[in-house]
Amino acid sequence: MKSGELKRVRFAFGLLGLVPVFLAGWFGYVQVAQAGRLQRPGRAALPLSAEVADNYAKRSEELPAPRGSILDRNGATLAADCEAYEVRARVRVPSTKRKDLSLFRPWLERLADNLAMALVADPELPERSRMYARYRERLRRVMWTGWGVDSLPQRGAWPAGRRDILDFLVAGGVDRRRVLDALDSHDQSKAYPTLHLQRLHSFKRVYPERDLTYGIVGHTESYEAAPGSAAPFRTVGVCGLESFAALAPDSGAVRRFLADGRHRAYFLAPVQSPPAPARLHSTLDLELQRVCVRELAQQCEAGMSLRGSPDDKPVWGAMALLEVESGDVLAAASWRSGGVHPKGAAFAPYQSRFEPGSIVKPLVVAYALEVGAVGWDDAFDCAPNGAMYGRVIRSLGRRRAVKDDHDCGVLTPHGILLNSSNIGAAMVGLRLSREQWQDYMSTFGWGTSLGLRLPHESLGGHPRRSFSPEISERGFRANSAISFSFGYEMTTTALQVARAYLRLLRGVDAELHLVRGLELDGKWHRASREDGVGRAFRPEVRGRVLAAMRDVISDAEGATGRTVVQRFRKEGTELHGLVGGKTGTAFSPVRDADGKTVTMRNASFVGLLPAAEPKWLVVCVLQKKGGRARFYGSSYAAPPAVRLLLRCLELRGGGTLRQEPQVGPGGQTRTGLQSPDRTGWVESVGADEPRETR
Amino acid sequence: MRWMIAGLLFALAVTLAIATAAVRADNVRARRELEGRYRGVWDQIIEFKRLSVQQLESVSPDELARLQWRWLQRETGRREERLQ
Repeated sequence: MKSGELKRVRFAFGLLGLVPVFLAGWFGYVQVAQAGRLQRPGRAALPLSAEVADNYAKRSEELPAPRGSILDRNGATLAADCEAYEVRARVRVPSTKRKDLSLFRPWLERLADNLAMALVADPELPERSRMYARYRERLRRVMWTGWGVDSLPQRGAWPAGRRDILDFLVAGGVDRRRVLDALDSHDQSKAYPTLHLQRLHSFKRVYPERDLTYGIVGHTESYEAAPGSAAPFRTVGVCGLESFAALAPDSGAVRRFLADGRHRAYFLAPVQSPPAPARLHSTLDLELQRVCVRELAQQCEAGMSLRGSPDDKPVWGAMALLEVESGDVLAAASWRSGGVHPKGAAFAPYQSRFEPGSIVKPLVVAYALEVGAVGWDDAFDCAPNGAMYGRVIRSLGRRRAVKDDHDCGVLTPHGILLNSSNIGAAMVGLRLSREQWQDYMSTFGWGTSLGLRLPHESLGGHPRRSFSPEISERGFRANSAISFSFGYEMTTTALQVARAYLRLLRGVDAELHLVRGLELDGKWHRASREDGVGRAFRPEVRGRVLAAMRDVISDAEGATGRTVVQRFRKEGTELHGLVGGKTGTAFSPVRDADGKTVTMRNASFVGLLPAAEPKWLVVCVLQKKGGRARFYGSSYAAPPAVRLLLRCLELRGGGTLRQEPQVGPGGQTRTGLQSPDRTGWVESVGADEPRETR
Repeated sequence: MRWMIAGLLFALAVTLAIATAAVRADNVRARRELEGRYRGVWDQIIEFKRLSVQQLESVSPDELARLQWRWLQRETGRREERLQ
């Protein structure tokens, strides 16, 4: 080797030797001079430790917790979670658009358009063109606002110091593969190299029998109509069973992964300690709920079409079915006119109040018999011009006369219930003292919560002045006592009426139930129920009132349920002796929102089956505004209620209506539609066990 | 001779560095591919669950009744047309 070559080689190797010297110097500077912390402009100093280095790669993401399922009493799923993605975008304005702002706006429009196209990429999506327009408008607005496009100049360069990165939600609840694929095709694509789309795990709520369960099962979002808006509803809260705290998602699971130098995730680990979704077992029976919803809707809609006049259509309808033995609510349905979406409408069985009218008469008579104020054989002259009327009622100086729909003669309590005599009921009511009326109100729970913990429950009840000490005894008797006797001067809801009758049948502390129990982490927790049902009405009182209610649904002279008996006889069903009940027809002037006074008419019916020893109890109420006076409970409210009761009998005969749900070893019912399992991502929906569809 | 050995060692070091970089690059590629498949599988699971729910809804008594009604109406229309 020549000396020149030797020098060059030594020089080269000398340079190479400087590399470790430089690295050693840098290491010393960082570890000693910087004292283990790396200063970063605008950010906190970074501690230089092995842990930080590991953490740089080791990441974790929090997965949301599922809400859990809501099941009916036979295990059919009413609400469940399904996995979906929330897609977010992080976009930086490309350098070419930053240099020339005239290119920026068209680029933004194109990006919104392409993302909207991707979101409707699945041809099976319903209303694609409308959805596309909505997505496009929303994305355009989000980006427009986010970058403050209005304040940007039309031409020139991007203003210095202005933020050029935007992070926004593209869409939530994305669960269609074609949509996901279409979105992926834009992620850091050639057309949009600065667009980074992120998928976050989330859950989408599904309701397999949605049309049947809007009000009672509820939804995680309540909506309100927004006139003129593209979206008819907006989110304001939760309602129905969905509002129960047990279903509120707790802390979610954690999934660990590694990130590469560009923060891209890889090597996703299995989910750690995923929370087990709760299963709320309700008392509802899906099949009966179906019948309940259908019968009520048919009755309300048939009423509309047959009468023709807009005044004759019901404003709302409510129907609820109970199992007498347990107090379980088996079905509850609501109907509203005017094409109001059930999501945005009040749920009539516990939110719509009405004056109950004659359906309280059996309760008043039962109470009066129970406290010994009247005897079963007492006779009341119910003739409007009779001496007894003059002595007992007219003498009180009541402003409005008490009238009956048809003139009645001398009646016993049985006859009063059979004929639904207002005069007779008033005479019975006048035998009760003010204190006894207060006790009557609390005994049957008028004006008190159902205790079902459902939000926005209407309580109803009587005006505070009814029992005010300022009202004289004579004044109370002349007005409130008489009005209470036939269900006026008080308001209630369909479910409160159901509870009042349940108390008559079982005991004065009986309550309704909507939840059987909760399955948490595989453990079954039975819903707390009252230890007892309280003091029961004497068997002879209960039996006599039930006998009178049985005779109401008969051909007997003056029986208010004759219409329904004749109607069902034509269909081949003899109701007398099978179904008991009480019809109610009431009207009251109500001041509407415009300050105008309108007459609201209520047709109501309470039905019991079997009449002698009831197993099921149904309450049906329809309310309409003004219109003709002949809006009778027996013609309008009784038919759907009786059909629902007959369906109960039919299902029990076929062995398909279970008095007790089929339960697992812990007492829980089995379900076909699986909510996410412990990993939240494995089990298929309805793949293993066939769902009870009956 | 010793310069030869030094040169060979240097070449070896360079080769090792290149090989390491290549392996790492291949790892990244494989990792990306694996990640893509992993996401694809989850996408299919999500799609499957969605379709399961959709199918359950489509066989509800009400939906089947609607379907039956539509078929009956179509069939009635077809027969009426044939009669005319």
